[in-house]
Amino acid sequence: MDDLRLYLQGDQATAERLREVLAREGFRIVEAPREPSVSGIVVEIDGHGAAPSVREAAGRVQELERAVLELRNLDVAKSQFLTNVSHELRTPLTAIVTYGEILRDGLLGEISQRQREAIESMIGSCRQLLAMIEEILTYARTNASAIDIRPAEFRLSEVVENVREMNGSLLERKGLSFTAEFDGGIPQAWADRDKVAHVLGNLIGNAIKFTPEGGWVRVEARPAPGQPGWLQVEVSDSGIGIDPEHHELIFREFAQVDASRARVHHGTGLGLSIARRFVELHGGRIWVESTLGEGSRFFFTLPSVHAGTPDAPSANGSGADA
Amino acid sequence: MSGALPAARTVLLVEDSDAIRDAFTILLEDAGYTVLGAGTGEDALRLAAERVPHLMLLDMGLPDMTGLEVVRRVKGASATAGIAVVAVTGRDEEADRRACLAAGCAAYIVKPVNTQKLVRDLPGFMAAAPA
Repeated sequence: MDDLRLYLQGDQATAERLREVLAREGFRIVEAPREPSVSGIVVEIDGHGAAPSVREAAGRVQELERAVLELRNLDVAKSQFLTNVSHELRTPLTAIVTYGEILRDGLLGEISQRQREAIESMIGSCRQLLAMIEEILTYARTNASAIDIRPAEFRLSEVVENVREMNGSLLERKGLSFTAEFDGGIPQAWADRDKVAHVLGNLIGNAIKFTPEGGWVRVEARPAPGQPGWLQVEVSDSGIGIDPEHHELIFREFAQVDASRARVHHGTGLGLSIARRFVELHGGRIWVESTLGEGSRFFFTLPSVHAGTPDAPSANGSGADA
Repeated sequence: MSGALPAARTVLLVEDSDAIRDAFTILLEDAGYTVLGAGTGEDALRLAAERVPHLMLLDMGLPDMTGLEVVRRVKGASATAGIAVVAVTGRDEEADRRACLAAGCAAYIVKPVNTQKLVRDLPGFMAAAPA
């Protein structure tokens, strides 16, 4: 137990600090830290000069470090597995959708109106399945490891416009009006654009799903009341609404308000729990105001470039609008 | 596009799934293109150099190299730099999109592709590529 190998996460600076601490306890680093890698840096130390009790403690640390390393490798393996599964599931479904569209558009010969409708329905179901797979995998990924938030500046209105485009045909089919209103001069968001797009996609998708034909969906953004530098986004609809006793439940995993609703409106029941996770990762909050039969208003808060969060472009700046 | 239809344009379809490649071949041939197929990055680079297609429809998840590497090598060689490259990907991520466009892709589209829209957009992608 005289020679110890220590694995730890860190960089050269961490190694330098470690060297100092070890020297104080009578250890001597035999081998200098190698290049930092996924598994951290490795140092070999000589424990001859240290007191037995310290050596024993160091031995336990070594075991723990080894266990941490194994866990970290497992986590990497799990992420890799999820990526592979996602690819393997998506590929055949993509082929089905593409062939379906080719058949629908008569590229392989004329088809009747009834055949066309059947193929449309098949394509729609496939797209739905793809979206659900995506959601389950996103959920699995959010739990696989610490998700990193990569903040950048962007305009919320652009993300909302992308989501509207993606839902264009569904909005049209249901005859829903869609409006987006943004207070003039609200600052740009300072957040992870993909995750915000996911949250907005989920809230707007739900609004469309639970609003009967001829209704409306609206997205608004404004400075968050009482929270300088933050934005408040609201997605509201004229849909079926949610009983107040379920307002907490719907943000939990696998929850759909009742079985009958789940049967009419397909879904994994993961969408809102992922949305909550993503909003909370930004330090924000998500909630709903709704009464059964009177539509729903979902809100979430998000840092703007003036929020003063670490690394924000104007972390030292004023709260003034751009 | 203006005037008469140009002579058949060539599209190099890079996709490792045979089923998807076959489906897109039907789609693109129906739209009047000559279609070349490749299932690996290596084949894609070889065909790009030999046949210099007008456009490359590139699946970003290939078995032998990343799609981004294929784009960089196509754009990095003067003989093939003029090929319009359209990245096709299973994951819609902003960082990914930016990396593809920065590497010289004409567009970044997410699977499953809307086939009608793709056929409509292809001439524009080719027109935008340097001659």
